[in-house]
Amino acid sequence: MSLDLKLDGRSEDRFGTMAQGLLGTPADRPEGVLKVTGAATYAAENLPENCAFGMLVRAPGQGKVTAVNADEVRAMPGVLAVIRDERMIRNAAQGTANEAPVQGVDHAEYVGQPVAVVVAESFEQARHAAQSLKITTEGSPGPVDPDAVEPEGEPTRTGDLDSAMKDAVHALDLTYTTPSHSSTPMEPHAAIAEWDGDRVSVRASLQMLKYNRNELADCLGISAENVRIQSPFVGGGFGSKLGITAEAVSAAIAARELGRPVRVVQHRRQAFETVTRRSETTQRIRLAADAEGRLSGLGHEALVSNLPGETFAEPVTQASAFAYAGAHRVIGERLARLHRPAAGSVRAPGEAVGVTAFECAMDELAVKTGLDPVELRRRNIPDKDPSSGKPFSSHMLAAALDDGAGRFGWSDRAPEPRSRREGEWWIGSGMAAAFRVNIMMEAEARIDLTPDGAVVETDMTDLGTGTYAILTQIAGEALGLPAESVTVRLGDTDFPPGSGSGGSWGSATTGNAVWLAALDLRRQIAARLDCDEAELTLRDGQATCGNVTRALAEVLGGDDLRGHGHITAGDAFEDVVQSTFGAHFAEVAVSDVTGEVRVRRMLGSFAAGRILNEKTARSQCHGGMTWGIGMALTEELTHDRRDGHMVNRDLAEYHVAVNADVPPLEVHFLEELDPWSGPMQSKGLGELGICGAGAAVLNAVYHACGVRIRDMPATPDKVLAGLE
Amino acid sequence: MATRNEVRFILNGEDQAIRDVGASDTLLDFLRIDRRLTGTKEGCAEGDCGACTVLVGRLTPQGLRYDTVNACIRFLASVDGCHVVTIEHLRGPEGGLHPVQEAMVALHGSQCGFCTPGIVMSLYALWMATATPSVTEIERALQGNLCRCTGYEPIVKAAQAASAGKGQSQDPLNLERNTITKRLSDLRDGARVEVAKGEDRAILPADTADLAKVLEENPEGTIVAGATDVGLWVTKFLRPISPAIHIGHLEELHEIAEDDAAITLGAGVTYSEAALTLIMTWPHLLEYWDRIAGWQVRNMGTIGGNIANGSPIGDTPPALIALDATITLRKGGETRELPLERFFIDYGKQDRAEGEFVERIRIPKPAAGQLHAAYKISKRRDEDISSVAAAFRLTVEDGTITEARIAFGGMAATPKRAAKAEAALTGQSFDEATMMKAAATLPEDFAPLSDWRASAEYRMRAAQNLFRRFWYEKGTDEAVRLETA
Repeated sequence: MSLDLKLDGRSEDRFGTMAQGLLGTPADRPEGVLKVTGAATYAAENLPENCAFGMLVRAPGQGKVTAVNADEVRAMPGVLAVIRDERMIRNAAQGTANEAPVQGVDHAEYVGQPVAVVVAESFEQARHAAQSLKITTEGSPGPVDPDAVEPEGEPTRTGDLDSAMKDAVHALDLTYTTPSHSSTPMEPHAAIAEWDGDRVSVRASLQMLKYNRNELADCLGISAENVRIQSPFVGGGFGSKLGITAEAVSAAIAARELGRPVRVVQHRRQAFETVTRRSETTQRIRLAADAEGRLSGLGHEALVSNLPGETFAEPVTQASAFAYAGAHRVIGERLARLHRPAAGSVRAPGEAVGVTAFECAMDELAVKTGLDPVELRRRNIPDKDPSSGKPFSSHMLAAALDDGAGRFGWSDRAPEPRSRREGEWWIGSGMAAAFRVNIMMEAEARIDLTPDGAVVETDMTDLGTGTYAILTQIAGEALGLPAESVTVRLGDTDFPPGSGSGGSWGSATTGNAVWLAALDLRRQIAARLDCDEAELTLRDGQATCGNVTRALAEVLGGDDLRGHGHITAGDAFEDVVQSTFGAHFAEVAVSDVTGEVRVRRMLGSFAAGRILNEKTARSQCHGGMTWGIGMALTEELTHDRRDGHMVNRDLAEYHVAVNADVPPLEVHFLEELDPWSGPMQSKGLGELGICGAGAAVLNAVYHACGVRIRDMPATPDKVLAGLE
Repeated sequence: MATRNEVRFILNGEDQAIRDVGASDTLLDFLRIDRRLTGTKEGCAEGDCGACTVLVGRLTPQGLRYDTVNACIRFLASVDGCHVVTIEHLRGPEGGLHPVQEAMVALHGSQCGFCTPGIVMSLYALWMATATPSVTEIERALQGNLCRCTGYEPIVKAAQAASAGKGQSQDPLNLERNTITKRLSDLRDGARVEVAKGEDRAILPADTADLAKVLEENPEGTIVAGATDVGLWVTKFLRPISPAIHIGHLEELHEIAEDDAAITLGAGVTYSEAALTLIMTWPHLLEYWDRIAGWQVRNMGTIGGNIANGSPIGDTPPALIALDATITLRKGGETRELPLERFFIDYGKQDRAEGEFVERIRIPKPAAGQLHAAYKISKRRDEDISSVAAAFRLTVEDGTITEARIAFGGMAATPKRAAKAEAALTGQSFDEATMMKAAATLPEDFAPLSDWRASAEYRMRAAQNLFRRFWYEKGTDEAVRLETA
């Protein structure tokens, strides 16, 4: 039995009437103790007996691959195998691919492609042998420069933007660039594969197991029923673990060949190359405005890149389709086929870089029109989606702008740049709007209810996002159980397929599946009490219907009940446009001596429907804003111009924000319920915090010192050059 | 000289005696793979992320000292005679969670959890050392830990919350201090340690005299002090280092001596060990010292190593050259002394003969009228390599500059003095015009290169601007430095 729901219209808010008082509270994460004691076991831990160690080997160039001295390496101490198997994958699969990515080891399409796995008795032997395997490549390399190829695709045109630009009182035609970015979760990609007959079990660090299972099966050429993947703890993902990854496939191949378990952990430098990066972007932004700053037209065209054979093109302009009014529009991406490492989803694909550049352009328009940047945005809020004409499920931008501006003290800001100086430091502030589409996927979950409590099971993952906590709260709230009586089990393909973690959809999608499973149970309980489910109150293990209250255990009467929920997106995601909204504010200091930028404080106001757990929600926004600081100031993957290889593929040179880069961060949530988003009335929040955050920083840099940085990140050299 | 063929140390509570140790075996792999202590994580294998932070306790003349270190680049052989403490050893006063761990859960300092054990260990070390740490002290303790989820703020709050609880005296490491001291003393047998795994050899000389001997016997050996650079040769570049000759354990090389004229640092003195003495003598180094790497690396890395590896972007050479430091090199029983700047001949080339090693660094004490500054510019605030490092020592008497020593890192193939600028300043009145005139001479002395860290133009311009900053700070009242901005 299963309770299925396709979301076709508005949903009733059932959680407003629940009695446990668990949902919405800032509950601690239940797995927190395991994490702070080091007892949480990630993918490379739990070594089975007799486990061998594998190390991937990369191609040093593009072209036909030859392993020159494989036999010598096979003879090295401890070496068990040098494997070059056609089923090994070129790069990680794209999110939700559900099938194998491009496979093969004979031709390297980018520098760094894994072309062999060396397996040995010990890790040190494997590492040494892998380093000793000499790989050569021959043939002419494919293009690596985005400007050197004719891109695919054309933007969507509505009206006549060229004329609108000519007729506009204020017209801006600007180009921004963002470099490649890397997810760099703290846990490098790792897998341990073990076969039992024809069935393979893989402990891996992956985000979306139901897809990963099919992807791995397809890679190996076996049935998905013969694949089990477990990822109970994932040390961060941010998109880099959406699709099946090279180490998992090669561990499975090696373990089969050797007839014993094999562990393959990617060195940090390998993970940079084999896992999908965020594409670099070149964004042309055109804004046509009247004297009052109202947009008559806007253009947002982006050039992005990916390897041949990859379906993904960074959806840079995703939010520009609905963010601001303006009748004449040119919006879309062009894709250059390049032989740089594969591109794919990195936290908030599209909006992270697209909203950031667009919000910088809006700041430039504010300067040009003489309008306050907050007011300029307010004036251009559309009353319906300008691209499709559909209504919004809710629109909270104005509220977020007002809330954020008030709390930040925006009205105290002198409008002119270079208004404030402290010693060698220019001080300024900037703001940006935040947008992120709300996506619903398909998910299933089940709950077993016994006198001891409830056990929730789904193959959903927790990347640190708080899934364990939130699903505990949803189940506890709906079933009237305290958190201690709810156990959540995640990250195992033996459980019902959840949504996987990605695209901010995890808690809203899988959470609704858990709600439906709980509703299934509530109906079974109500039937036993002979009452209507809507009349049922469950609280602290007691079931009340009318004036009858009985202990839940008594209602169960020795039976264990099982509820199963299944949710799919329907017309609710077709008939209206669903988005989350926010506003970022930042204050920075810029050194007149060195061009260094220090963010002094940052504040975000966000609206994402019901906030399920204030603590985990805040954490997500903190993380996103911190990524925004990184995007604005430090994060930059540099490709060698000759062969496209990643120059700075390690944590020493790929600069994620350190503690000292991050000032006090203030996060506020606006009260909102969005009935279109599903029974929980909650929308995705994992990515909203990054969208536009970097623009607030860069706009503050301009306000501080008058230097406009259009090529991110704003490193000291660029800023100082502008200051002179 | 007795020789021992096993490495002996204490891991959490247990004595370890391991024979099968190669030069390239790291403490982290030993913990995670051999001992299955997987609470300690590997995030980068090069000392950048701090996920592998553990405590290493060793006996010093001042007593048992615990430091946070990066286990990923700490060689297993080098923990001979030490007490290694991992996350698995932590517990609260009544068992259960340690106060730092409790606070990390309650304040959501852990999200994905992978950086968490390393952060807990850093905060634990801070908690042991400082009952009520300031935010600055907390941030210093976290410099060597990266987190990609939290934005760090909840972690800083957790550190504050944990410090409210006290309980240090009841902590197992303090309760067991005497026992551990005794056990570590018992491990000291005065022997040279030679261990190997196959051809991969590591040697721990018995003392400095023995070091000189070992080097003469193994002139091709790799001298390993803190391993913050050599560790990466192994884990990142997969280079063989055998035979590795460790010097970090040699107590004589950790000596800090002070007389009326100078401070003398043994080459094995870590950045952390030197910090207090140097900063008390030269307060301008306070801020600069904190910009060197992160806490774990400062606990491991040595000033001698920073000099001896000859990098043009090492952080200490410019500061020490401006202070007129000299170094003593030793080979066998022979020693010689030379000004630090003369040690650096060219890129990758130093005035060090085969079998010779840096024994100590002598820094003359400050004199009246000296104005000091040291600046580091990097793309990222912490845990980053300098784009430009600069140090100034100007002696100003009655408004006139009587002596100038200015050294730069990142501006040439070696750390180098700005000879033309020094000449332009000497004998002139100390004012902004003089400073900027001196700055204008930099292109005559330096032709910096463009690389991933900074362009040549930027390096030159920023270096020149630092003369202006120096004037702001020393000649006017209007200076506001970033840390106080």
